[in-house]
Amino acid sequence: MPWAREMDARGVVLAAGGQLYPAARAVTVRSQADEALATDGPFAETKEQIAGYQIIECADLDTAIYAASRHPVARTDGGSVEVREILAD
Amino acid sequence: MKYLLLYAGDETAAGLAVAGPTAGGQTDDGQTDDRQTDDGLAGDGHAAEECLPWAQEISEGKLTHLAGGRLQPTTTATSVRNADGDILVADGPFAETKEQILGFDVIECGDLAAAIAAASRHPVAQLGGVVEVRPFLGGS
Repeated sequence: MPWAREMDARGVVLAAGGQLYPAARAVTVRSQADEALATDGPFAETKEQIAGYQIIECADLDTAIYAASRHPVARTDGGSVEVREILAD
Repeated sequence: MKYLLLYAGDETAAGLAVAGPTAGGQTDDGQTDDRQTDDGLAGDGHAAEECLPWAQEISEGKLTHLAGGRLQPTTTATSVRNADGDILVADGPFAETKEQILGFDVIECGDLAAAIAAASRHPVAQLGGVVEVRPFLGGS
């Protein structure tokens, strides 16, 4: 994948990641009155659905935003990438 | 099969808060945030500490934990989107939702039922949040 090669060349480490089956296959689990209820569908109905994720390790937020802007999803019309820092445990 | 467990909930609720000024139910002016009692999400412990028994339970079972993490609040999110070929960078999450994404785990287990069982035992589900279970493409 050209994106992965470009990130490697820029010193951005790609950790875990993956593509998901469409949100139609999502199951959402909520607890109600101490009982877990599983219902079909994602936790929120949104115009855009979560299609996958990628954990990266890089120097700063700017680099992460750059990596996101180069990702094929962000190069596709209508696609978007949300960038969030992972809390260190 | 590989499954994504996506945790969501009110990120300002005490039991589910991950970081930031609202953690612990305090508002910026130091007053106790009433929301933590009104919405029933208040928990004695912090979600992160409450996850440890779950992780132990998972590792003793027939589930493998592959990746995961808690995220900084959505106030720190940046969304990068493509509109008619232009890359636009904006503050905030990709979608405004009643419940916010708090974190995720990637697990490997026998089937969807096992993944749902793991989700229903997770502290986020127990504290009033929700867990969305999604299979990965090519995850079998």
